[in-house]
Amino acid sequence: MAEIPTTDTSHYQRRRARELADAEFREEYERARVEIAQVDTIMRQLDARREASGMSKADLARLIGKNPSTVRRLFTAEVNPELKTIVAMASVLGARIEIVGEPSANTDSSTSRSVA
Amino acid sequence: MAWDVVFYRAADGTVPVDDFLDACPTSVRARLFAILDAVAEAPPPQFSGGGHWEAMHGAMGGYFEIRAQGPKREQFRLLCVLENAEASELKRRGFPGPALAVITGLRKPWMTTFSANDYTGVRLLGDDYRSTIPRRIAS
Repeated sequence: MAEIPTTDTSHYQRRRARELADAEFREEYERARVEIAQVDTIMRQLDARREASGMSKADLARLIGKNPSTVRRLFTAEVNPELKTIVAMASVLGARIEIVGEPSANTDSSTSRSVA
Repeated sequence: MAWDVVFYRAADGTVPVDDFLDACPTSVRARLFAILDAVAEAPPPQFSGGGHWEAMHGAMGGYFEIRAQGPKREQFRLLCVLENAEASELKRRGFPGPALAVITGLRKPWMTTFSANDYTGVRLLGDDYRSTIPRRIAS
């Protein structure tokens, strides 16, 4: 049987490379990647702890005094989670949010990392 | 394994996503690319979304939204479908592996909603995309 040819899927990568050649674009892109990765890491760790503990999102919401829809939206919707809500969820799940320094930072202890 | 990101190409050769991105402010465009890369590197359901990526419902079921906010809180969206199937089916569609297919983009002022016509327009493009084998994409 004849091999089915695959379509060239490199358009996106080529456009991305062109865009990244622009300093303004690159700066914003890199800032967004760091922000997205950090928020995603925290939310995934919290969700993993919730699942491991057998707790539903509704259970978690009740324990922190929020509506179930509020907690569901924290994991998916267009909201900027309040720090105190994140801390409350971490606390209920037996974890905490901590600020730690990046190895390259010239301060004693101050960039963020999740230890949920 | 990271997914490919592909842009739908209309029968007349235009690429609605490219046109949409060209009209976005640089900061918004950079953010949309950052989200696309985050999703492609940790495909559903690994990526939590964190407010940037969400499955759509109702008449837009089967679509996913990438969300970014621009100056004056203007809202920018990329409307996507997932190309995730058995290897033989992906091959039939022309893909070497799973892909995130971006159909088009929409933008709206803060605190307004997209109209039914906006979504109908997206579905028309999406239907055209899904009706072609192999898929018609920008190359």
